[in-house]
Amino acid sequence: MTPEQLSASEGRRDDAGLLGEGADPGVWEVFRQEKDGEAMRHAGNVRAPDRDLAMHYAREFYSRRQESVRLWVVNRAEITDLSDPDLLQPPLDRSFKKPGGYVMRDKLEIAKERAKAQGQAETKAADR
Amino acid sequence: MTTEARLPTRQLIQPDLPAFDHGGLDRATRDALAELLLTMADDEFVIGFWDSEWTGIAPMLEEDVAFSSIAQDEIGHARLLYEMLARLTDGDADRIAFGRAPHEYRHAALLDHARHDWAFSIARRWMYDTADSVRLAALTSASFKPLADVVAKIRREERYHLLHLDVWLRRLANGGDEPRRRLEASLGLLRPDAHSVFAPLHGEQILVDAGILAEPMPALARRWAAQAEHILLGELGFESAAGVGDVVSRERLEPSESFRWLWGEFTSVARLEEGVEW
Repeated sequence: MTPEQLSASEGRRDDAGLLGEGADPGVWEVFRQEKDGEAMRHAGNVRAPDRDLAMHYAREFYSRRQESVRLWVVNRAEITDLSDPDLLQPPLDRSFKKPGGYVMRDKLEIAKERAKAQGQAETKAADR
Repeated sequence: MTTEARLPTRQLIQPDLPAFDHGGLDRATRDALAELLLTMADDEFVIGFWDSEWTGIAPMLEEDVAFSSIAQDEIGHARLLYEMLARLTDGDADRIAFGRAPHEYRHAALLDHARHDWAFSIARRWMYDTADSVRLAALTSASFKPLADVVAKIRREERYHLLHLDVWLRRLANGGDEPRRRLEASLGLLRPDAHSVFAPLHGEQILVDAGILAEPMPALARRWAAQAEHILLGELGFESAAGVGDVVSRERLEPSESFRWLWGEFTSVARLEEGVEW
């Protein structure tokens, strides 16, 4: 068989098995850093059957136009997912844990007065 | 009708090929360099168009994007080399790229085949990219600085291509019965053309003497064959793959039917109206 006799129309459907038997095109989450020193931000994800191809595809999808200086590629299966509402959204009121739960202004004024008075008392004691 | 001068369609912020002076090259060296540039540019141009044929139908969406992007890179490299050739010969890069008859292209025989199935495209591209990298390495210290500079840029992109093809070669070789069988069949079909990237050039001794090409083509071919056999025979356990066949010349009176078809595709727009600016 010469190369010219092979079907020129073979495409995605025929070659689907060629990722390798049993290969699972798993999902990899991609994080990107736009400039040195900036935080890594979630960019999106790619499907790939292994770590090497995941890296290549991340590079194609999230930095082929020089828009990133670093990528992190993480297999989704390796990510610990925590979304349990009992742990993250407790049902009882927690507003006292937020600074906005207090009216701070009056307390702050009183504290300032007290600190001032105390300071003056200490100065007089030192003068004597 | 307006008489305003038309702006060029593409205006690069930084030109990839800066202005250069070739006054220091004598006539024979310039001709030899022009021959080398034409063969390299045609190789990159033709594989770029063949592999673009996978756009939309590669094994998975991500690979579709990656493979098409690599094919585009090759056409970008061809552009650089055609532009350098055009300045060297007072020609026009677009005319050289699109204005020749099929038998005037000087691409290696390895690139005269259609893309066929995925294993064939991977086998061919792996052979071509590894051979091209040996050829580029022999030009990195070229005494003609503009060429050395362009080669340095091209090699930075080829590094990723090589990594990508290495992953795929191993994936198919170790991916079970059918992928390995298809890959081996393709390597066998390509074997007679494996060395065609290193087909002799008329002026290669002139290029070697001028300090442009580090070694003559047969020496590069042996260097590549040793590398290829190490991987195909040593690491992947194929029985015979790259081999040392007769070198197929780049000067073919009759290009393959496949290439004629591809030529029809990639020149179809340029042939619509001669000399028009896009």
